[in-house]
Amino acid sequence: MARKKKCIAMLLAGGQGSRLAPLTENVAKPAVPFGGRYRIIDFSLSNCVNSNIDTVGVLTQYQPLELNDYLGTGDPWDLDLNYGGLHVLPPYQAAKGGDWFKGTANAIYQNQKFISNYDPDYILVLSGDHIYKMNYDIMLQEHIDNGADATIAVMDVPLEEASRFGIMSCDEKGLITEFAEKPAEPKSTLASMGVYVFNTDKLMKYLELDEQNPESDNDFGKNVIPAMLAGGEKLYAYLYKGYWRDVGTLSSYWSANMDTLGEDPELWLNDDGWRIYYRHDFQSPTYLGEHASLHNCNCAAGNEIDGHVSDSVLGSNITIEEGAVVKDSVIMSNVVIEKDAVVEYAIIDRDARICAGAKVGGDKETTELTVIAAGEEVVQ
Amino acid sequence: MNMLGLIFADEHDADVSELTTKRTFAAIPFGARYRLIDFFISNMTNSGIRNIGVVATTKYESLMGHVRYGGEWDLNRRKTGLTVLPPFSFFNGQVRYENVLEALQANISYITDYKEPYVLFTCCNAIGNIDYAAMLEKHIESGARFTCLCTRNPLNKEPGVATTEYKVDEDGRITDILIHDDVTEGAYVATHTYIMGRDDLLEILEESIDLNKKSLRMDVLKPALKDSKIMAYETDEKLLFIDSVSSYLQSNLDLLDKDLRCELFKKELRPIITRAGNSSPAFYGDCSNATNSLIAAGSVIEGTVKNSVIFRNVHVKKGAVIENCVINQDCTIGEGAMLNYAVLDKGVHINDKRLLSGYITHPFFVKSKSVI
Repeated sequence: MARKKKCIAMLLAGGQGSRLAPLTENVAKPAVPFGGRYRIIDFSLSNCVNSNIDTVGVLTQYQPLELNDYLGTGDPWDLDLNYGGLHVLPPYQAAKGGDWFKGTANAIYQNQKFISNYDPDYILVLSGDHIYKMNYDIMLQEHIDNGADATIAVMDVPLEEASRFGIMSCDEKGLITEFAEKPAEPKSTLASMGVYVFNTDKLMKYLELDEQNPESDNDFGKNVIPAMLAGGEKLYAYLYKGYWRDVGTLSSYWSANMDTLGEDPELWLNDDGWRIYYRHDFQSPTYLGEHASLHNCNCAAGNEIDGHVSDSVLGSNITIEEGAVVKDSVIMSNVVIEKDAVVEYAIIDRDARICAGAKVGGDKETTELTVIAAGEEVVQ
Repeated sequence: MNMLGLIFADEHDADVSELTTKRTFAAIPFGARYRLIDFFISNMTNSGIRNIGVVATTKYESLMGHVRYGGEWDLNRRKTGLTVLPPFSFFNGQVRYENVLEALQANISYITDYKEPYVLFTCCNAIGNIDYAAMLEKHIESGARFTCLCTRNPLNKEPGVATTEYKVDEDGRITDILIHDDVTEGAYVATHTYIMGRDDLLEILEESIDLNKKSLRMDVLKPALKDSKIMAYETDEKLLFIDSVSSYLQSNLDLLDKDLRCELFKKELRPIITRAGNSSPAFYGDCSNATNSLIAAGSVIEGTVKNSVIFRNVHVKKGAVIENCVINQDCTIGEGAMLNYAVLDKGVHINDKRLLSGYITHPFFVKSKSVI
């Protein structure tokens, strides 16, 4: 019996995220912990299921072990389906040899067989390394209503930042007239979010052309989108106004974590209308000791806290001993902060230990962000 | 594993009727994020048991919703797994089993279906991290017909609630079984956890139906004491009893003790697992003041919390003061409200500036979904 899906998602999760080092030393960027108990990829995956997209191919390449473990069968996102669901798509060997994914476009080109299994009318292409809550269904509907061949989600960014992004120029109906990847002199402030909807047949056509071009970097932003524009296809911009962060650098990663704090947080994680799902690790409840004080903090499970913590995001299974002070920091799971240690304006990666009396970081106004790598021990 | 596990979900419903109006005993929430049955399923799976029957007769909706197919414990396997056994019309047409013996009788077909040579069956009123594999080893080694779990250090046993005591000789053999209302200092208190041979159990059940026997303890165990080897297995693990609302409060608050908490939750290779929610991390506001408390994820703490156990998705608003309380899932505590020794069941809404105060022996209990 023939079956099909209206729209499937292809989630690009193979990038190294080298600017996030050392957090990405042993783990792909989408699997980097975020907000106490999530991984970065949870946002894209949850957006998919919340937007009624139940078929997601996750393209992996760099350090996939932990990411694969984390994704598992896709059950935390209800993506463990018999037809559809979550599929990890690594590079593979075939009869005529095999290749690493040469670029974002090539990664999808190499997985045409997966796509054809679902015979989708539309393909949603996503990055696994952005923090945002977005209803792709609305974008898809606009794409259909416009009769577009491709739709690119865009954000209005400040002019001075525009040259960091792919910038669109559009007519009043949103039809894209020009696209420039990281232009020195941006003509508009509409920046691509790396979220695309394509008509399947058009995407396949241009992926094939891109593949035949030996000069191409096989990249969506650099090659495929300009080729489609040059080919006279109808490309529309979809203006998104909600929260979106590219957590590509340590400081943007830190500040996106901080966005989950406050009484009315910019990034509200406990939103019943838009749940962010994650894989659970079994932890006992968090215990706050006699000397504990927590102010403006997110705190996951399994922690034993007896120190002073403020304006920080805490993962799971963390010990913060009496007299320790943590401020303006992101503390990941299994970290131990011993007696009287001070951690300020820092990211402490998993399994690190800050020994008694040690001092990490400093005032966030006057010092640089400090990052302690996974498993490191700080004595002084 | 050569042992089948059976859990009696509602054997002690009447002891804490306040908490069991809409759920069975085994589904009572405990320790900020668990339900009582989690401890028993986890103990069983940690001991290598792969087939578990959960016998439930009434109000089992929340229990079934919680355990489902046992996926959290990796029990949702093709060949083995967890089965919830709701009542079905059995020999005397009753809806509800009066006691453990009847519950066993009604589930003969389940026991018959499995070939494990031993059966462990337990009620859910004593919470601990117990190694049933060690208990089975002792059972086999001693050549006992029955081995009965007991403790000489029952924590939070409520005076006035019927208690089963064993008289035990120096070899660990049970010589007498007494049921009375008070706990004698140093007595061997039963937890209603038994191991016995499957074939023997099936035989006993057939016979007990024929002879219309009613009580496992009085009609089966006690008459057999003389001729059969019925052994006590005394555990050194801490066992928290739940047989009244005040012992429920006390047993929850006992988890604030680090040693006890570690003994229960942080045992090497013996984790207590529960069904995962999907809550965000707990959020502590600028004015929060939380000390010596267990606080689950998804909660928003803006007020003061002391010596308390707070379940998932509880909102403690500014200026609220909570002391010595157990606050179940989805409760809201209004601004300036003050609660002392209160037990709030699920989904309670306390309006601003309300004052509730009980005492450890007489907690102020608020039933589920009340608005005060």
